Amino acid sequence: MTTPDQRLVMGEDGLAFAGHKLSRASLDACVKCTICETACPVSAVTPLFTGPKFVGPQAERFRNGESVDHSLDYCSSCGTCTLVCPQGVQIAELNSQARAVMKADHMPLRDRLIGKTVLMGTVMTPVAPIARAALKNKPIRKVMEAVIGVHADAPMPPAQSQTFEGWFRKRATPAGPFPRGTVVFFHGCAGGYFEVETSKKSVEVLEHLGYQVLVPKQGCCGLAQQSNGLFDGATKDVLKLCDDLRSAGKDLTIISSSGSCTGMLKHEAHEIMGVDDERLRDVGTRIRDIMEFLLELHDAGELPTDFSPIEMTVPYHAPCQLKSQGIGKPAIEVLRLIPGLTVVDSNATCCGIAGTYGLKKEKYEIAQAVGKPLFDMVKATNPELALCDTETCRWQIEQSSGVKTEHPIYLIHQAYGLS
Amino acid sequence: MSRVVVIGAGLAGLVAANRLADAGLAVTLLHKGLGGLQLGQGSIDVFGYAPDRVLNPIKAVSQVATSHPYAATGSSAVLDGLAYLKQELPELLVGDPEANYQLPTAVGSVRPTCLAQPSMIAGHVRDGAELVIVGIRQLKDFHPQLVAENLSRTVLPDGGRLSARHVWVDLPARDGEVDSSPVGYARAFDTEAFRIAFATALSPQLNGDEIVGLPAVVGLTDPKAWRDLAGKLGHLVFEIPLPPPSIPGMRLNQALTARALAANVRIVPGVRTHAFSTVAGRVASVTTAAGPGGRTYPADAFVLATGGFESGALELDSHQVVRETLFGLPLTGVGDGALLHGDYWGPEQPLFRVGVSVDDRMRPVDPWGAPAYPNLWAAGGILAGASGWRELSGDGIAVASAVAAAAAITKELS
Repeated sequence: MTTPDQRLVMGEDGLAFAGHKLSRASLDACVKCTICETACPVSAVTPLFTGPKFVGPQAERFRNGESVDHSLDYCSSCGTCTLVCPQGVQIAELNSQARAVMKADHMPLRDRLIGKTVLMGTVMTPVAPIARAALKNKPIRKVMEAVIGVHADAPMPPAQSQTFEGWFRKRATPAGPFPRGTVVFFHGCAGGYFEVETSKKSVEVLEHLGYQVLVPKQGCCGLAQQSNGLFDGATKDVLKLCDDLRSAGKDLTIISSSGSCTGMLKHEAHEIMGVDDERLRDVGTRIRDIMEFLLELHDAGELPTDFSPIEMTVPYHAPCQLKSQGIGKPAIEVLRLIPGLTVVDSNATCCGIAGTYGLKKEKYEIAQAVGKPLFDMVKATNPELALCDTETCRWQIEQSSGVKTEHPIYLIHQAYGLS
Repeated sequence: MSRVVVIGAGLAGLVAANRLADAGLAVTLLHKGLGGLQLGQGSIDVFGYAPDRVLNPIKAVSQVATSHPYAATGSSAVLDGLAYLKQELPELLVGDPEANYQLPTAVGSVRPTCLAQPSMIAGHVRDGAELVIVGIRQLKDFHPQLVAENLSRTVLPDGGRLSARHVWVDLPARDGEVDSSPVGYARAFDTEAFRIAFATALSPQLNGDEIVGLPAVVGLTDPKAWRDLAGKLGHLVFEIPLPPPSIPGMRLNQALTARALAANVRIVPGVRTHAFSTVAGRVASVTTAAGPGGRTYPADAFVLATGGFESGALELDSHQVVRETLFGLPLTGVGDGALLHGDYWGPEQPLFRVGVSVDDRMRPVDPWGAPAYPNLWAAGGILAGASGWRELSGDGIAVASAVAAAAAITKELS
């Protein structure tokens, strides 16, 4: 363990951890029951991935340094295997670690680039109309596919003309009073640059409930780098972010509408990269997904339920990185408090995108096949609107089903009369 | 806040959660991973051996020793639970509590079971039956020759004999696969095109009125896949369960989970419940290991349906000390000498009967018969006094104890 003022530097240590401490200790608990094999959404659609049991706890025994099994790269790290394992084997974490080791000395340029979410946001925001047009331009996308290996049809983040931070700083600051006290809002890169509306609505709902919302200047959680095996940069980023969030105040609840980044802070940075740091533990303990936070309020009898009716049937998809947080599906329960609203759980395993997996040209078709049952369900349930808690999953669902896909907070915001 | 928290999503946990939700209670179901259902045969064993082969399972239930879990649940909870499963899952479970099916296994023995899936029951062994057991070249978990030859040399429970032969079909679940998984086949059999291809390959090999035994992979989400295949073949067919992954078990697991979700059970998967708190001698809450801070679930009543040794609910350390890992409950069967003996093929290991003892309302009790906590109930594999694997009684105990616990909780909270 490191103390708060020690700076944990990963690099060699991170890869040494990846080959193999925390997760590896769990592999002897594998009883070969095959439950993970039955749940894996990737091996269900392609023989290129031989399944989580083979690639995870079995192949791991043969690894001493680089993997002998390159089908490992086809694991999307959606985490379903870990979620369903009754014996506590960290299958997805083992796979993420082994992949980081496998790619360590020949990391593709693309995988370095798509992990740089802040860079993408800062470059695109000032030129949003151009960026939007460029990302919809077929010849440009074909060039992107050929040069850096991002599939021409893959979903891209929607460039916005204003960042969340820009909005938050420029608006008239609410005067209060704030009878419920103060919370910290963590927007994440996507929530800061691309899914600005989601962040705005989240803040407005919290303020409507009577909270003062603080938004400290904040960087990236490092998730996209982590999922691409870039543990060194990801570790630096996640600890920097912990410092940013902690700077807003001690013991404050931290709330986020960025489901996957929340998962990174709660458990992935620790379980996958072995970051063992008091600052991460502190933030991981205090942070709540916004729908989880609202459900906790409701369970405590403190959530106003004076919602205006919304007469609608809407499909909801719980993303993998929310499910892996061990909190169930709080959005469904909160949304069901809105009169007139019928929420239909997709019960789909995965939308296929798995962070940046489904963007890659060699994985694109697999990701589309993984998500197909979900896309069909969404289209059949409501061709106008679908709900999902994480950004890249929303972009994937919207791109592949043609159905507008928003964060569940949109309907909470509307039902409170805020939009 | 939920009024009841159920811990564990095996057969006991799923039945308890469904019954409690049916009674109008707000229920949270916490579970570490998927429960044991898809590691089983996808049928409901009530009593198979006592110790001889059982023909009438409910009669065997009524004759158990007082230390057996069935003595606590009583026959009525068993009958109630079986009727409930048949009513709620009519496409998946059929059978008679007074007459076991005797069904072929993947090693060609004949196992007794009470409720079976409709896709299995044409295999119920009868004197003079003519079976053909079908292997699939790319499915490595099923050996039709072994099944056929063992069945042919077996004297059936009614004293008769059957004849069985085997044939092969060469058809990968996906193009190019030489080793397809049972789940891959089940998904393939869900499609009409694969059923046509399979029937086309198999039909010419079938004779007369032979009953066709297939590995239990004939469809996962389409409950009519096996009927459609039988129609295409023009023969009776039956499924023989395989080692895990068990497709019939997956069907039961998915159906009971979907039913719980439809009944608004709050399901929280992927979490180990590892701590609890008490107030005035009652369980006040349990805590899961979700993230560094965990999550705490207060409730009025708690159901411990965490299973036995195989799921980590019971742990044996190197000093031969057994522990119930969540509440540290008093255990029965631990004080009478060695828990394990070295004779592998010898008499039953005493360890297998270790578990918690319960009162007539399914609450774990201390050695003097008083409830460990007045609002804690137990169901399924955690219960002491049965060797489910030897008796083939585990499913029946799970269902009956879940039904009995849910009834007691409903009475208490209403």
